[in-house]
Order: sequence, then C-alpha cells, then structure tokens
Amino acid sequence: MKEGFFRPREYHRPNNLQEATWLLSSFGKRAKLIAGGTDLLVNKPPKVECLIDVESLDLNYIRKDGDGIRIGAATTLDLIERSPMFSAGPYVVLSEAASNMATPTVRNMATIGGNICNASPAADLPLALMVLDSTVKIYGLGGSRVLPIGEFFEDVNKTALDEDELLVEVYIPPSPAGTGASFLKLRRHQTAIDLAVVNVAAKLTCSDNFCEDARIALGAVAKRPIYAEKAKSLLTGKRLDGKLIQDAAKVASQEAKPIDDIRGSAQYRRRMVAVLVKRALELSITRCET
Amino acid sequence: MTKRDISICVNGKWYELAVEPYETLLDVLRNRMGLTGTKSGCAKGECGACTVNIDGKAILSCLTLAVQVDGKEILTIEGLPKGAELHPLQEAFVKRAAVQCGYCTPGMIMNAKALLDHNSNPSEKEVRKTLSSNLCRCTGYERPVKAILDAATIMRGKDER
Repeated sequence: MKEGFFRPREYHRPNNLQEATWLLSSFGKRAKLIAGGTDLLVNKPPKVECLIDVESLDLNYIRKDGDGIRIGAATTLDLIERSPMFSAGPYVVLSEAASNMATPTVRNMATIGGNICNASPAADLPLALMVLDSTVKIYGLGGSRVLPIGEFFEDVNKTALDEDELLVEVYIPPSPAGTGASFLKLRRHQTAIDLAVVNVAAKLTCSDNFCEDARIALGAVAKRPIYAEKAKSLLTGKRLDGKLIQDAAKVASQEAKPIDDIRGSAQYRRRMVAVLVKRALELSITRCET
Repeated sequence: MTKRDISICVNGKWYELAVEPYETLLDVLRNRMGLTGTKSGCAKGECGACTVNIDGKAILSCLTLAVQVDGKEILTIEGLPKGAELHPLQEAFVKRAAVQCGYCTPGMIMNAKALLDHNSNPSEKEVRKTLSSNLCRCTGYERPVKAILDAATIMRGKDER
C-alpha cells in the first residue's frame, strides 16, 4: 500500500449496532465510520483500512419523545434546517446553526453525528446543542452510555468515544417557558461556505426581564467548544439591562482562549466574542417574550 | 485491494460494476462510464461542479463513494435531455446565455433540477440560496438565476397542460 494515500481495502455496511461495534473494535484505529463523507473524503486520512458505513443503522430520524426531541446521528443537516421541530421556541437555535453551515448541497449530505464527532473547534451544531443542554447517546461493546454534550469534546478532533464506540443519538430536553435562544456566526466574508472566525450560541430563561437561567457557548476560540461559565453566573438571578449584557459579553470574551490563524488573530477573535455574545443575548431576550 | 460489486442506476439504466472502496462516484462516472459532463472542480465539496442528483437530491459526487450509492438512482447532466430535445433548464441556460466558460454549468443545472423537483415555484431568493452551492469563477450568477426562474415558469406551464 502506498503511504500517505487514502486507500481503504474494506467497506462494510452493518445492519445493526452490534455488528458496527464489533467491526469498530476489531479494526481499532484502522477503521473509520462514514456517513455523509463531507469531512472524511475531504481529509482522506491515510492508514484507514476499513470503512464502516452507518447508512443501514436506521439513525436518520427526528422524533418527539415526551417534551424532548431525539435526533438520530445520521440525520442530515437539511432535514434539521427544515424540520418544524426547530422552527419555534429555543429550538430555533439548532436550525440557525444548521442553516449557517457550509452550502445547501453539503447540508444534503453532512450529518449531525458527523459534525459532532469530527470535533472541530469551530463546529456550528455543537454550540446550539450545548446551550440546549443536550446529551449524546454512545453505543459500544459494553452497551450504551449517555454524556452531556459539553463533556463529549476533549481536544481538537478528539472526542470521548472509545475505539469500539459510535455516537447514535442526540437528545434535547424540554426547556422551561420563557426561554429564548440564538446562534450567530462570523465569517471572513459572510458567504455561505467559510468556517467560523467566531461562532456563538446563547440561551436565556427570563420572566419580566429577570434572568432565571442562562447558557453561552463559544466556538473557534479554544481547542474545543466551551461554555462561558463566568458570563452565565454573572447573568443568572439578575435583572437584564444593557449594562449587564455588555458586562456579560466582556466576561465571555475573557473566557475565550483563541489563537492566531488564517481566519483571524487571537485579539480580533476575543473582541468579536464580545460583539457576538452581546448580539446573541439581545436576540435571545426578544425570543423569551413569547 | 478488495473490489466490491455494486449495481447503480445511471440516467435510467442499471449498471453492474466492481469498484474499489475508495473510488468516488465522480471518478466512476467520468473515468469508467465516460460521463464527463459531471466536472471535477475542487474535489473538496466547495465548488459544486460535480453535483449530480441521487434519489432526487443534489449531491456532490466528489464526496460520495461509489460503494455508498449501491442500489441508488443517479441522474447526471447527460440524463436530462429527452433524445434531441433539451431539458427546459438547459434550454433556458442557452436562451439566457447563462454560460461563460461553462465548467460550473452542469453542476448548477443539476442543483437547479433538484430544487425544481421539490419546489416548482421558487422565489429568486430561494434560487440564489440554492446557487450558493455552486462556484462560478467567471462570476456570472445573474443569468443563471434568471434562466432557472424562466425554466421554472416553463415547467409549471407544461404541468398544467
């Protein structure tokens, strides 16, 4: 086999999760899961000997479960973007994140599970899922386990998945009444295709402008998507006004740990975190009122 | 290397072929089936030149493995005309002169085909959003937008008759 080329020798399309985990555990690092292919076939990693296609695992669904929502890992982004489940309430944050990602054609192929498992620090969907307090269901040889999505990301392109495990489902719990959320993304040009310079999701639960609960998630400013915990604490239990929003945005920008790269300098990114957090909070407030 | 046997329906005809697990649909269409209307642009999912329709959806053939489409129906630009008669989208692109170098054109038309299959009366905004998947290096978007809207009107007229 030529070194450095993407030349998998085997392709499997398992019909059930047991078979998929068995394949994953027997091939270990030499195996890669494939869904939409929009990350894998761009990166074309060498040394992959076996591709495991998730197509026949029945993981393409969006369904209500009580007051929560379950999304199969192989659900494509165009379905999330268009689903009536994400057209109202705080759940719009997820369709906003989906519709701001890549191009419409890529969204016909890319899956929610792929976007999560690729674990890009600049990924869009994880931020929306983080502010919605989502959990992920992981299936492996030992059965299944559930993790809060914030604990799923460990480092750049590194997740909590063991070699025999795959992500099967995302669960979004119900949010209390008076909750609004929003997603904002800054690109070098606001064209359809670029990755985020900075991306932000926010969620507020308020009554009479009194902030009962808050979540802020920041992307492209650390090795993994992060919660702005200090900004959240600053907001919680206080009356929301312009000054408080401004202060929270500033605190969030101090929590960011950005780097310089081709898309922007660390300093620019930190400043833009403050701008985006402020706008996302303001937008979320307007959505709390319904 | 272990080749796999697949059967795919391309432009209405079923084919059986053996493919390597790493062969893209784009390579199979162009190099093995001689269907060179589908173009290879960036090979990274950014330009849309390789767009085909799979089961009615606009899909990038450069980021799709041939093994993944086993059993599926694929439509390429070569499958659009009925004999000598061009598809209304092709006709509209010719009439509007919505082509400069032409390299992005098959991808644009296949993307527009999937749009019109699902939405026979798209707004200009929806057409523009759809075309955001297709990079035209000659920067000629105005005429393709008009051509797609023209084709939609013509196709709706045909349906009503």
